[in-house]
Amino acid sequence: MIVAERKPIRRVLEAIEPYQRVLVLGCRGCVAICSAGGDREVETMAAALRLARKRAGRPLETGEATLIRQCDPEYLAPLREWADKYEAVVSMACGVGVNLIADLFPEIRVYPGVDTTFYGANTALGEWQEKCRGCGDCILDLTGGLCPIARCAKNLLNGPCGGSQGGRCEIRPEVPCVWHQIYERLSARGELDRLMNFFPAKDWRPAGHGGPRDRIREDLKMDK
Amino acid sequence: MEPRSHLHRVLSEGHFAVTAEIGPPKSADGEVVRKKARLIKGYVDAANITDCQTAIVRMSSIASAVLVMAEGVEPVIQMTCRDRNRIGIQADLLGAAALGVKNLLCITGDHQKFGNHPEAKGVFDLDSIQLLDMVRRMRDEGKFMCGEDLTGARPEFFLGAAANPFADPFEFRVKRLAKKIAAGAEFIQTQIVYNVERFRKFMEMARDMGLTEKAYILAGITPPKSFGMARYMKYFVPGLDVPDEILKRMKEAKDKREEGINLAVEIIQQVREIPGVAGVHIMAIEWEEAVPEIVKRAGLHPRPLEAEVRPAVVVEVEKPVERVEVVAPPAEEVPEEAPPKVEIPVEAVKEVFSTVRSSIESLREGVNLLHDSLARLERALLGGEVVPAEVPEVPRVEVKVEERPPVEEKPVEVKEVPEEKEKEVVEEKKVEEEKPAEEVEARVEEKPAVEEKPPVEEKPEEKPAVEVREEKPAEKPPVEEKPAPPAEGVEIGSFSGEYRPLSERAAGLPEDLYKEPGTAFIREVEIGKGEKAFKVGGTNVLPFHLFEGEMRHEPRVAMEILDVKPENWPESLARYFADVLDDPAAWARKCVETYGAEALCIYLMGTDPNYLNLDAQHAREVVEKVAGAVDVPLIVWGSGHAEKDVEVLREVAEVVGDRGAVIGPVEEANHRTLGATAMGYGLPVVASSPIDVNLAKQLNILLENVGVALDKILMDPSIGALGYGLEYTYSVMERIRLAALYAQDDKLQVPFICNVGREVWKAKEAGLPSDETMGDQEVRGVLMEAITSVALALAGGDLFIMRHPKAIELTKLIIKELMQQN
Repeated sequence: MIVAERKPIRRVLEAIEPYQRVLVLGCRGCVAICSAGGDREVETMAAALRLARKRAGRPLETGEATLIRQCDPEYLAPLREWADKYEAVVSMACGVGVNLIADLFPEIRVYPGVDTTFYGANTALGEWQEKCRGCGDCILDLTGGLCPIARCAKNLLNGPCGGSQGGRCEIRPEVPCVWHQIYERLSARGELDRLMNFFPAKDWRPAGHGGPRDRIREDLKMDK
Repeated sequence: MEPRSHLHRVLSEGHFAVTAEIGPPKSADGEVVRKKARLIKGYVDAANITDCQTAIVRMSSIASAVLVMAEGVEPVIQMTCRDRNRIGIQADLLGAAALGVKNLLCITGDHQKFGNHPEAKGVFDLDSIQLLDMVRRMRDEGKFMCGEDLTGARPEFFLGAAANPFADPFEFRVKRLAKKIAAGAEFIQTQIVYNVERFRKFMEMARDMGLTEKAYILAGITPPKSFGMARYMKYFVPGLDVPDEILKRMKEAKDKREEGINLAVEIIQQVREIPGVAGVHIMAIEWEEAVPEIVKRAGLHPRPLEAEVRPAVVVEVEKPVERVEVVAPPAEEVPEEAPPKVEIPVEAVKEVFSTVRSSIESLREGVNLLHDSLARLERALLGGEVVPAEVPEVPRVEVKVEERPPVEEKPVEVKEVPEEKEKEVVEEKKVEEEKPAEEVEARVEEKPAVEEKPPVEEKPEEKPAVEVREEKPAEKPPVEEKPAPPAEGVEIGSFSGEYRPLSERAAGLPEDLYKEPGTAFIREVEIGKGEKAFKVGGTNVLPFHLFEGEMRHEPRVAMEILDVKPENWPESLARYFADVLDDPAAWARKCVETYGAEALCIYLMGTDPNYLNLDAQHAREVVEKVAGAVDVPLIVWGSGHAEKDVEVLREVAEVVGDRGAVIGPVEEANHRTLGATAMGYGLPVVASSPIDVNLAKQLNILLENVGVALDKILMDPSIGALGYGLEYTYSVMERIRLAALYAQDDKLQVPFICNVGREVWKAKEAGLPSDETMGDQEVRGVLMEAITSVALALAGGDLFIMRHPKAIELTKLIIKELMQQN
């Protein structure tokens, strides 16, 4: 899922400073699952904003709503009606939601309520870890399913580096060295010779360094 | 093949090579580099110039190399993958080659996290092996990485790489070395060798793979300058293996530096014996002066071949004392001339200065690290908004000797601090996820099967012994009694974790952002009279929101006794009172003396017209007996039959008049008469209403109208047990409390009393036998009762009537902990 983290309230307050009526808009997709922008967090955020503004002597009216998704125009449709009632929208969705709202409703002032952090897994209660970086050219077939792009601090493709000690990354001891894990995984499978192959430099264009990425499937398009 | 460089020539002719490291300064002062070069000139075959090592910004390796060449020393430049992408790297390498640089060490580079710009975007477009491959193809195939032709002069580098024989996984280290050599590495610099045995093993594996035939391996050597530095390297430098023996020697040495040099010399001599070791690379960190001494003592001076350094550019620097004017091609004879030029006293003075400087530098690095970690801490707490930590000016003695991270004793201590702080930050984040850090462990002794009854049989034997002696009136400490009943069953654990005040967790946020105390206080109602009396209520915040207001009195628990022997109490509850169930006075005493009850509630169940219909006289006697037996505050709770209660409680009020007791329940139907009775004797009342905000408020108003003051009223919202409407009760109580505190609803500013025990223990689940699905009967009942009470305490409950001693113990424990959080 896309993992996000609530933005510092102060930052959100600054963004909505000029407004009296604000819609806090959650998303029941990834951000709800990672407890950053679902119904509950919308409620908390709205309450926090009201409280802060009340304290500041400039009471704020908030609306609260949570959409199934914010990354799909059809789910954003209700915004068209709500837009009149509010001066601004604080989107608790990932950056995708904020962007799509901005794209579709140029008249709506939309501000982010979360910081979108990474693609991760919910590895334990209250804990999420980055597992993928969406580099557009998956090499997990070669690395035992463990991603060195997302999980090695130096994105090494011919690791592990000299800082790998006891299976730990030198960056932070609580982080396992993914190259050590890859080594052990392949070693156990008798596929160590894979690691002896030179891994050529990566083409970073699919990773986004070639400009914004898109995906088109002609067969799914309506206006065929 | 014509050697690509002087270093290459030394190696290819089979000489044991010596290189040393030069760390460029954190300034634009080229003289620092030149001085370092002069220091080691004649003692090394080449000087390796770091590329922003440990990710600290310094003069660039290539520029420094030009200065080093000007001193007649051949440089090895370093190129990391951290700061440049493939475009920048190729461009810089073409430039370096054009400037006359002949040796290149390709490394990935230390992660920016370790440097002074941890905020930087690490590039890592390539890794060291891909870098080697790229440069080799530029040189040998005349191709840029993209495949385009490199026409014209090619960068003819003698290519090197790093290897760490001490990192993990050990078996893979040699294989990775093989990858580097296959990618183009012609010489290898190893990580610092202290553990010669492990290095020997590494070399053996390298030889087995034929790697020593393909590349020249230079062992990394670092003289420890102090015990602190050795310790620092052992514990804080990832991928460095410092055996205890080395630490011991450094610790015990009188002259640390002398010992450091000795160690370096010994290690050089040892590694020299290892087949396949082609030379040494000396990294005398911020101690370049040691290099000549080490080289001399290791018998590696003079160097076999004279370096022919031909810088492509002439660097002229006007120099105060010493002459530096190296003209490009004919630099050969300079080495012989230069050293004599330096006068001995100058050297000595230099030595002193350099030592002082390096100490200062170490201190400064330490201070920087502290600032760094402070900033990180702040960032974590403030959620990304950092007030730029102002770095006070550390005395700016012109410091020119450069080094790695702190290596002096003091900085070592300092370095530890940031690491710990960082951990703290991580932990803090976790804590913030879920508010209270505590957790209650209600440990339960699992009874495996029903056969486990024997202990139960034992108990009756023990208990009588205690119980027969029940004549001993009021004193016996609970020493022998306590263990008896709960010998098996429920065992209450304790809180773990440590509470961190909200103010600390919210540091940086303005208080008024998260604090919102109520606008009024809940009335304080006094329960009982005299010494044992206590008050409930008196709060202006939601339950346990101690960070924003006040709870003058903690929630209390009254233990319930009945006027008649209960018939339907589950064994798991009844067994605690088996000996006293038919004697309210003894029961009351047991509650107080054995179970430490701080108040009692006498439930006059027997007076219920629908049950035994016992008369007011009976109630009077029971209450009289109980009142005589114990001195704790009493609550007398009628049958709940509005008419009958008037009759019964009137009688009771007469008995308890002086002593004081709370009476109830008062309902709308009997509020006039009971209200009058209560007023007459000055007793607080329990105002019972059926789970509704408005009805609760209305009853309070009615009572007030007949003259009962609000501070003589306890509201009974009619509670539901866990699984029997608890959430409904919770919601109603919460709304009542919110109205009282935040909506100026003064008629609701009254404490709650919750009659929990009765509701819980009549629930079917409390009485079902132990089995696999439902678990232990007693544990189940205890938890049901405690959970109900604690939940309602969180909704605003002030006074709880409960039955099971263990449930009470657990509830009180939790309340106590919640109250401590301030």
